[in-house]
Amino acid sequence: MGLDIYKINPEFKDIMPQEIIDLEENATWAQNQTKPRGIKELPETKELLEEHSLCAGCPEAAALRYVLSALPKPEDTVIVNSTGCTSLMFPHIALHTVHSLFGNQNAVASGIKRVLNWRFPDIEKDVVVLAGDGATVDIGLDYTLQSFFRQENITTICFDNEVYANTGGQESGMTPKGQVFKMAPTGKKFEKVKMWELAKTSGCHYSINMTASAPKAVAKAVREAILIAREIGPTYLNIYTPCILEIGLSANEGLGEMKDQDKDRFASYKYVSPEAEEFLKKCKAEGRL
Amino acid sequence: MSTIKDMTETKNWSGQTLVTADHMLFEAPRNKHFMTGSEVLKEAVKRCTVDASVSYPITPQSEAAHLIGELWAEGYVGVYFRGENEFGVMSEVAGCSMAGARTITTTSGPGTLRAMENFAQWSGTRIPCQLILMARGINSPLTIQPDNLEVSYMLETGCMIWYAENVQELFDMSIAAFIVAEKPDVHVPIVTVVDGFFVSHTRESVMLPEDDIALFPYEPYKSPLPPIDSETPPGRFLRDPFVMKSNYISYATHASWQWEVRSAVERSRPYAEHFLNGLVHITGNEDAEIAFVTCGTASHQAKEGQRELEKLGIKSKVIKLRTIRPFPKKELLAALEGVKYAFVPEFNVVGWLEKEVKTALYGKSDTEVVGGPRVAGGMSLPAEAIIQEVMEKINPVKGA
Amino acid sequence: MANQGPTYYSPYPTAVYEGVITPPEGKALLLTDVVDEEIAMREIAKVMLTSENATIFPGPQVLYGYNEEAKKKAKLIKEMAEVLNSKMIPMYDYRPKYPKIDAEVEINPNHPNLTIWHNNIKAAIFIGVHCHYANVALKIVRAETDCYTVAICGLSGHEDAMATLRDQHSSELEKFIKIAKEVKAELGK
Repeated sequence: MGLDIYKINPEFKDIMPQEIIDLEENATWAQNQTKPRGIKELPETKELLEEHSLCAGCPEAAALRYVLSALPKPEDTVIVNSTGCTSLMFPHIALHTVHSLFGNQNAVASGIKRVLNWRFPDIEKDVVVLAGDGATVDIGLDYTLQSFFRQENITTICFDNEVYANTGGQESGMTPKGQVFKMAPTGKKFEKVKMWELAKTSGCHYSINMTASAPKAVAKAVREAILIAREIGPTYLNIYTPCILEIGLSANEGLGEMKDQDKDRFASYKYVSPEAEEFLKKCKAEGRL
Repeated sequence: MSTIKDMTETKNWSGQTLVTADHMLFEAPRNKHFMTGSEVLKEAVKRCTVDASVSYPITPQSEAAHLIGELWAEGYVGVYFRGENEFGVMSEVAGCSMAGARTITTTSGPGTLRAMENFAQWSGTRIPCQLILMARGINSPLTIQPDNLEVSYMLETGCMIWYAENVQELFDMSIAAFIVAEKPDVHVPIVTVVDGFFVSHTRESVMLPEDDIALFPYEPYKSPLPPIDSETPPGRFLRDPFVMKSNYISYATHASWQWEVRSAVERSRPYAEHFLNGLVHITGNEDAEIAFVTCGTASHQAKEGQRELEKLGIKSKVIKLRTIRPFPKKELLAALEGVKYAFVPEFNVVGWLEKEVKTALYGKSDTEVVGGPRVAGGMSLPAEAIIQEVMEKINPVKGA
Repeated sequence: MANQGPTYYSPYPTAVYEGVITPPEGKALLLTDVVDEEIAMREIAKVMLTSENATIFPGPQVLYGYNEEAKKKAKLIKEMAEVLNSKMIPMYDYRPKYPKIDAEVEINPNHPNLTIWHNNIKAAIFIGVHCHYANVALKIVRAETDCYTVAICGLSGHEDAMATLRDQHSSELEKFIKIAKEVKAELGK
């Protein structure tokens, strides 16, 4: 079926809103493309994110748009989410997505991926997890790591804003040491968790720590991570999307903060397993990247 | 390993002939076997064209979970793996079921409590998965012994709850459970309970149909919500959204959604009546003034008590509840007509079934409800205790 | 507020708590009565033809041409709207919308009452909406508006609607349209 679920029956075209007509006519779906989708289409095409209720200037919303633009095959991609600021955007993504509980996203995604493989042996169905740092590293750490141990064919993307933002700014495991947040009124007592290193140790074939300052870099990482997850095994992206509200920046300062952190806590970390390295070379040769 | 592509119009992927639940449960010829509850669950799952199962060890359900794993290795079950803990397992089950799989799992006691947050989420997202609960005590102190306190925590999760008395009932119920749970107007999770050890580990004679037949597969496109497989519109679909963000605030949606889940449980009644042959089963003297209202192993013990009382010239009857959610209120009230005392023997300290019975009877019946006898933590419930409870009530001076 | 329903603010009691559940196979539900499908079809046509601003709410299962049955149903629903002199307002997805819906041109399952109030709809048909979302919406509509709701369902029907037909595939829709035409002629509409 694939794209048919977006095709409006002609009898109803006149009563459907433009955003739905645009999805059918002007979104970039892998099936319609000769070249891989990517960030370059964002200005001219219909985006898969319709609207959101995040704060003005929130880097998370921009990062999600980059992620969606880079999905290799959105019409066969399921994204699993968790509770947090990201869950405010999820109803507006034009794909099948899931929000189950806080922290169980990698477990839910494991079940979905295995069953989609079972039910559709001839169709590549990608399963991506996208959640915040609280969900990925604190409450959901067990399920995140266990899905890596089990070599689940899923991509895990953590939008790391270093804080529980949606509940009002509490310290998380990803908060840097010394930072004063709620529940850490005298400053955080331990170091930021190096989740990207844990991901590598736990069996991920591709692990990246980065900020969302450069859209093309985010898109490239997303695309590579999903292709590797499909063929080889789990992949992990840790992407800094600062909570400008909680660190006292204004709406236009998110990008500057990310650029600053490109050289500091989010200085580029990239691990690619030898197997994945080989595979990426093959993808490049085939024009899949 | 099997693949789903091996399935045809008439055979499932493991080559079994596809049959209706009516044929499986009521028509197919049966032969006598001698097996435990865990073993019989394997036989049930084998005949249910099950897509997926996720397991985790905890006594007393581990063996049942191993045996489902064997079925996977033999090609009867599509997806099987061990999860990281029960919270993870129930989340994995949610994923499997949302993605369109007929899914089963098993747990016990502390596992049930660890996984608790999932059960309300399961019903909220309307998945028709089956949980086999082999009830055991919950901490503290640690016990692995039979005790069904954990069931009381399940009562308001929005899941259906059925209770099997013995090995035979576990077989028949766990098959019917899939079919009823998957009805489009029901489509909520079903918890099939047995008492741990008393049923899971006790070998009994059972009548089973041949294993060359199996149920027709689950049809995910008859689900009340789109399955998560990118094959059904709307393409823009989150299962399930944070509804209060709509139109600034949508005050009624969450309430309506929750009532819809409970409504779905209620809609299971006619289907359950058909497949379970009634929501209550009554044994003993129909016109007795003494009744036992029971579920599970307590029914078995109460029946023994009823036979012993009969020898003493005291008429009684056992009203066995086969479904706890939906609660068979109408049937219970009818069965208690003319009954003076209703005893509720239970395997837990709190008397949750007594509370359920009292709630159902309040203002509608003159029957006096006696919460007992009650045992817990692995104690057995001998007929003598039941007889004593009755004697003390009806003949307080002389006693038993 | 205009067109307020019986319980004002809460989608309770729901129909099952009043002892009404989905009709058995081969039957339909009219308020609390299980009736023959044809009787229900006639009544539905009559209500739609005689109520102010009668509207059909097509849902995702018929709005999108993802299989042959959906394409066939789309044609029939268009014809049905013409026969019943009714408008169509789509429920094109189920998402909570931010910041707000346009009640003029869409209906959303999270607050269907807004569309019904705004357009002063006195009778409506839900068709092609997934059962769970139809039920969530129907409970709210039943409690909060005075709209006569009809659920034309491909599966088991909806007891929270005032009238429900079940197992409705394209052949049943054809039958309904035929009956609606007869009722229309009888009423001289």
